[in-house]
Amino acid sequence: MRLLRSLFFGDRFRMLRASFWALLFSLAAGAVILFLMGKDPVSAYANLLQGSGLLPKVKYAGRQNQLTDFLSFLDAMTPMVFASLSVAVALRSGFFNIGVPGQMLAAGFCAHIVTAALGNVLPSPLAKLLVLVIGIAAGAAMGAFMGWLKDRFNVNEVVTSIMLNSIAMYLITFYINTFYVDPVSRQSRAISDAARLTLSGVRTHGMKADFALAFPLAILVAFLLRTFLDRTTYGFEIRALGLSRGAARYAGISLSRTTLLTMALSGALGGLAGVAYFCGYFASIQPGTVPGMGFDAIAVALLGGNHALGCILASFLITVISKGSVYMSSRLSVEPEIASLITSVILIFSACSASFVGRRGGHD
Amino acid sequence: MTELLNMMIIDGLSFALPLFIMAIGGIYSEKSGITNLALEGFQGVGAFTGAFAAVFLAQSMTGALPYYVSFLCAIIGGGVFALLHALLCIRFRANQVISGVVMNILAMAMTTFLTKRINAAVFGHAGNKFLLGTSARFTVPVLSDIPVLGAVFTDVYPFEVIILVVAVVMSYVLYRTPFGLRLRACGDNPHSVDAAGVDVNRVRSVAVVISGCLSGIAGMSFAYSISANFSADIYLGYGYLSIAALIFGNWTILPAFGACLLFGLARSGGTVLIQQLGLPSSYNDLVRILPYVLTLVLLIFFSRSNRSPRALGEPYEKGKR
Repeated sequence: MRLLRSLFFGDRFRMLRASFWALLFSLAAGAVILFLMGKDPVSAYANLLQGSGLLPKVKYAGRQNQLTDFLSFLDAMTPMVFASLSVAVALRSGFFNIGVPGQMLAAGFCAHIVTAALGNVLPSPLAKLLVLVIGIAAGAAMGAFMGWLKDRFNVNEVVTSIMLNSIAMYLITFYINTFYVDPVSRQSRAISDAARLTLSGVRTHGMKADFALAFPLAILVAFLLRTFLDRTTYGFEIRALGLSRGAARYAGISLSRTTLLTMALSGALGGLAGVAYFCGYFASIQPGTVPGMGFDAIAVALLGGNHALGCILASFLITVISKGSVYMSSRLSVEPEIASLITSVILIFSACSASFVGRRGGHD
Repeated sequence: MTELLNMMIIDGLSFALPLFIMAIGGIYSEKSGITNLALEGFQGVGAFTGAFAAVFLAQSMTGALPYYVSFLCAIIGGGVFALLHALLCIRFRANQVISGVVMNILAMAMTTFLTKRINAAVFGHAGNKFLLGTSARFTVPVLSDIPVLGAVFTDVYPFEVIILVVAVVMSYVLYRTPFGLRLRACGDNPHSVDAAGVDVNRVRSVAVVISGCLSGIAGMSFAYSISANFSADIYLGYGYLSIAALIFGNWTILPAFGACLLFGLARSGGTVLIQQLGLPSSYNDLVRILPYVLTLVLLIFFSRSNRSPRALGEPYEKGKR
């Protein structure tokens, strides 16, 4: 009973309620759009769930069933969890990591190049481990660089991350197109199956499925991160910096160290998102674009209330929409962009949800 | 050699000026106290409405009229879309950085969606772009014969003139009129503006809408020059580049112009260099990083003395001190 009351009225679940209302309003808005287009909103939303493997489809192609769809859904969700955690950690200490796309690209690219250079020297588990380590290292280096510029030279981290995104994108595009292109797909050469974080096309129990090996890791990292932020001294310092810089400094917290630590941590998570995306969900890098997921992650983190576990829920939700929309658009013959449209409406509502549920005190 | 220099100046200017007008928009918004990462989305929506108008009018009209009407529509489109950012930031007191990012996501989703729909419904063919072609250019007779500087008057896009005129007007309004003074005060000390009997939130809303209008001009210019159409390709991050320019210019118009020129010339200079060295076109991507690296390096030197508007990013609350 008490839990129920705090769920509806208490402060503890304020963010959860805000996100819930945001979601409800946006699904209603999406339903109106679909209705105006002359489509049935209920079956459209059911299609989203079917495409994500959460509801059974009417019929399946050979060697496919609901479980294949769901495993593929988890594969798509994995990088989103890492990316939103990356944004959430930075936001906790008051920094905006808009550089997740760049960190993703850099990490994925480094992992591709190194594993390709090593060839088949390493046994598969070691190769996969190496990909993870490279992802963490590359992302952390980029994050720490942003933190260092911010701390040492007072360079606005938003601008740094935007510049780094573009630099990473153009450099990697250049390298791929010049030295590393697959002549057929016009993408980078595919990473070897031994190093890829997703076991792709595994035939088992009469089906053919993709297993995202990084997914359990993503969940584990989210829980570890929650403990780190809520229960350790470093985590407290990170949060203290976000609540009030002045008070944090007065309390004797080293701003430089905490800034560097936060941004490196955030970058490392961005790097993990990168390897889970480019060396897992996809096997190659598309030149000339930045992964939009890195930007979406900002809003996903917001929807998840900047909370580690909230990020899992929010990633789940947004991935249902993005992944399920492929199936929906083919069933209902609507443009697949309707998914990102609904997503952005959710994000708008969650951006201003703070004023729906009312704010407490004046401390924000 | 002069040939190359001319090419660099001509291409550099046609890239720098749209960036500049967008940066002015950003300065208006940020000087009034509203962080504006949404310029990217504003220019995209502006380009979308403008391009739609141009393609629609071109069905029944010829001549230069669709061209100018398209810019008018781009201004309106960008401004109307900016109202949403103003609504979120001011009325709903959303986090302004997040609102900006969301605006960009929404702009891209909405315009690509609508482009497909409109192409199917109005123009009766499938397609995800509005084809425009590049706009005609003109050369000023006598002035263009001046050595080196003459390049400024050679092969000018008409929108460059529009941008310069608007830029001068906007600088005058920001620095020489009571409205401009109030706007700048809203970003530094909103309570004093309130005490003087001016509605802070209204001034801020107007500022954000202005930034949308100016970004619309920029988006339409890119659509008529670099991309020659409207499609999702218009979202290449130029909006972010202009934000870097305005921060680099310490939130003032003239230094921001310098920054934009720097970006433009670095970009066209790189392209000319690649052509000159006879390298394959994929090397273009390598020199594209020049403006960004330049910005980072220069920001390291100049950020210490940079001072953002004091109340930037904070929703105005009457009772708060």
